[in-house]
Amino acid sequence: MQEVTLLIVLVIALALFFDFTNGFHDTANAMATPIATGAMKPKVAVTLAAILNLVGAFLSTEVAKTISNGIIREGDSGILISPELIFAGLIGAIVWNMVTWLYGLPSSSSHALFGGLIGAAIVGFGVNAIDYGVLLSKVVFPALLAPVTAGIVAFAATKLAYSITRRYDGKPDGRSGFRYAQIFSSSLVALAHGTNDAQKTMGVITLALVTVGLQDAGHDGPQFWVIVVCALAIALGTYMGGWRIIKTLGTGLTAVKPAQGFAAETGTAATILASSHLGFALSTTQVASGSVIGSGLGRRGSKVRWGTAGRIGIGWLLTLPAAAIVGAIAAFIAHLGFWGVMVDAVLGLGFIIFIFLRSMKDQVGHDNVVSEVAASADAVKIKKNPKPKRSVR
Amino acid sequence: MIDWGAFVIVFAAALSGTVVVVGLYALGLRLLVLGGRVPVVVPAEFTDAITVLTPAEIASAERKAAKAARKNPLTTRQRQLATYAAYLCFGLCAAAVLFGIYLIVPALHGG
Repeated sequence: MQEVTLLIVLVIALALFFDFTNGFHDTANAMATPIATGAMKPKVAVTLAAILNLVGAFLSTEVAKTISNGIIREGDSGILISPELIFAGLIGAIVWNMVTWLYGLPSSSSHALFGGLIGAAIVGFGVNAIDYGVLLSKVVFPALLAPVTAGIVAFAATKLAYSITRRYDGKPDGRSGFRYAQIFSSSLVALAHGTNDAQKTMGVITLALVTVGLQDAGHDGPQFWVIVVCALAIALGTYMGGWRIIKTLGTGLTAVKPAQGFAAETGTAATILASSHLGFALSTTQVASGSVIGSGLGRRGSKVRWGTAGRIGIGWLLTLPAAAIVGAIAAFIAHLGFWGVMVDAVLGLGFIIFIFLRSMKDQVGHDNVVSEVAASADAVKIKKNPKPKRSVR
Repeated sequence: MIDWGAFVIVFAAALSGTVVVVGLYALGLRLLVLGGRVPVVVPAEFTDAITVLTPAEIASAERKAAKAARKNPLTTRQRQLATYAAYLCFGLCAAAVLFGIYLIVPALHGG
């Protein structure tokens, strides 16, 4: 019994750490564009993002339910998920998250989490352990469709914003007024991030509690204390992560104008909120990237840099299987019993410390901390200020 | 198995929501300009990514805006109307956002 208690404490601690890295990774999703256009001071932006992530985590629990009952077959007809398995999955997710963060590879925290859990479940119980239908319909397809949706939406919104405010007489068009709007739209993205991403961790902790019988399986929503600690962890991560982004912001996003930023942020927020509402656990990073690219294309004289876009796409494809492999290895070790789990924990902790030490070495001036969203602005090339002509209309 | 309907709903909801919010705000800005109040919003802080504006450049942008407002062909009444319409647009835009939040928070509508 003591071993089980220790294990569950470890799982919760790891899950919260994952939540923290998630916030850390994703501050830029909401706040890269308003900082880049000067809508908000960086410090204000990051603080606001942290607060709204905290609030957002309390708003909805649909995504948490998708994770805690769905993808992995549980119950009478399926398998019995053990806390060891969740533990191994989390190790996979965190390790992959840290590696991608260090090397600046585009990655999605959500896919890392799913990948880790899936890898662990396959090692533990074979390939039949996964409900591939739910995996496809709630994770894989949303992951492919959401960035495209956000891109199209942001593209349309950018076109609309520019065409409504366009003037042909050269008089001031008041477009700098979009800066005020950006404060609200980026806040909405931060809120949406809270509603979608904090819940992934809630779902995992709930799953762990159900497996050891601390929570009734029929009661599928997360318990209140779980919501509170997850909200706090993601808010703290957002706040801490922001400082790195502020330090290194200054590449890639020069092309974003207030009107574009507003359109992109609104598109991101709308897509994430609509998907969260229906229980799709999608990657906020990918949606935000899709929006930034879409809004770039919505501007006059823009062109996609397919090389950059392709690199981002490959990173997306890689995340789930890579995290699954790490999760599978961790599950293999954890299978050795209690000591296996301890070995996992020590290895995982050592790895995290190693990455932190490595990241301290080259903190500034390296492309490792430029966020994926910032990088996706690079995927669109824009000619300098082409003049509006009536005929183009 | 795959719920295509749900994807269509997400797409439609995201597109219509964004178009309404962005459209209303842009329309509000356009009407503000029409009413002779051109907003000049200077970046809050110049990060490396932003071309630095000197105070003189900011003042020049504001003068330009004021000049454009003086040359406005509309009567005072029309300008007032445009400004009120602009505020109405901003208000509707805010209302649309709040309605969206209301829809996604189950606690607010008992479902």
